Amino acid sequence: MNILASGSPLEHVVQHPFVQWHVNLPLFGEQTITILSDQIIMQMIAGVLAILVTSYAARRYSAMGAVNERLVPRGIGNFIEVICDYLRKNVAAPALGPYTDAFVPYLWTAFFFILFSNILGLVPSEPFTRYFFFGDSALTHGHGIGGTATGNVFVTGTLAACTLLMIVVNGLRLQGMAFVKHFFQGPFPISVLIAGLEVIGLCAKTFALTMRLFANMVAGHVLLAVLLSFISLSAASLGSAGGFLIALVVVLGSVAINLLELFVAFLQAFIFTFLTAMFIGQAVNIHHDHEHEEAHGEAHAH
Amino acid sequence: MGRSRLSLNRGALAITFAFSATATPAFGADPHGEATPSILSGDLGNVIWTLAIFFLLLAVLKRFAWKPILSALQRREDFIRTSLESASKERTEAERLLKEYTERIEKARVEATAIVEEGKRDAEAARRRIHDDARKEAEEMIGRAKREIGIARDDAVHALADRTLDLATLLAGKIMARQLNAEDHRGLLEESIKEMSKVQP
Repeated sequence: MNILASGSPLEHVVQHPFVQWHVNLPLFGEQTITILSDQIIMQMIAGVLAILVTSYAARRYSAMGAVNERLVPRGIGNFIEVICDYLRKNVAAPALGPYTDAFVPYLWTAFFFILFSNILGLVPSEPFTRYFFFGDSALTHGHGIGGTATGNVFVTGTLAACTLLMIVVNGLRLQGMAFVKHFFQGPFPISVLIAGLEVIGLCAKTFALTMRLFANMVAGHVLLAVLLSFISLSAASLGSAGGFLIALVVVLGSVAINLLELFVAFLQAFIFTFLTAMFIGQAVNIHHDHEHEEAHGEAHAH
Repeated sequence: MGRSRLSLNRGALAITFAFSATATPAFGADPHGEATPSILSGDLGNVIWTLAIFFLLLAVLKRFAWKPILSALQRREDFIRTSLESASKERTEAERLLKEYTERIEKARVEATAIVEEGKRDAEAARRRIHDDARKEAEEMIGRAKREIGIARDDAVHALADRTLDLATLLAGKIMARQLNAEDHRGLLEESIKEMSKVQP
């Protein structure tokens, strides 16, 4: 209903700040810092849910019992463990090789945090919380609690920046100068140019990570909002019978889009994790890549 | 290392500030005073909250969820690997043992056959020896018996000859009475008997 009532299809996608702080920063001038908003609360809920679900899945392993008993997964633990095992064996291990177990906790955390944020965005909690709790709340300006945290470009950008940080820090920590050297490929004047391109590429990767997750999360919701706005538009122009007919089609279509959104929620969490693993893998496994290339070169020479 | 990490953290901070520099309010006021939502809404507050929540989540999950799950996955991996390895090792060992025992059984069979063959040969030799001994002994016994029979027959013939001589002497003496004396008769009869002995076989 809130989607129908709102004027713009973007209205329900964007963040609704509850508490804001205006501050004058020395380098950046006048800045507004959102202390609390619907998306921040959803982020917190996503974090708490991630902790509860994964800890529940892990609880079994710390319990006493026969070794074989504890090695066989069961219930919801099975579901979480299948995801963890898949990400570790099929996503992290091929990219990270010997460093798999060092980085897999980061990948798992990123995956579940993004997944829960994405899925919570599909829950229509905003109208319910507004109706039952926050209808006349001064704190939330009459707005309910809902929304997609990953539909905020600053959230996805921060997550992508964390990945960039992981790439650079661990590249330097594990490969040292080899990491720096792999930016400079080829003879001298060209190598500087290539290094520039590599740095741009690194930033582009981060930017692409940011935009891919953000755009995918926003697009579905905007599409739903636009679809549902057809109902009131058609009712206004075609009368109640025409409006009802359009509503039938639109509701069926929006159910299908919602199912697609559920799939996209998993898919985007997976893609973010997969690309993070690949980028970190490229940074920490430089040596192997070179050997691989040399082997290829020799093969070609022969 | 510590210094480079510090500078990198500063770099990350710069990135977050770069984001915040483009901070866009959710609702920009248009000339008519109506709220027009911006799709890029957000600000530094979102960056700080995301970092705080994400790193807190990372720390908590690492301690309470990922550690046990990762160790369980590793344990299971090791368990499956060692199980498979030991299974294949045991299989190889079992095959080796099977081969060894088959060879041993084959060898034992050959040995047994050889023993039986040898036993047969020995038994045959013993049978033949016993048979030969028995025949020889039998022949000896027959020979001895024949000799004893011959001796006994000679004795009997002599005894019969003596007895016949006595009887003939007695008879001839009675018949001829006093015509010849006993010595003459005896000499005459012994001569006749010698003649008879020469004729007998």
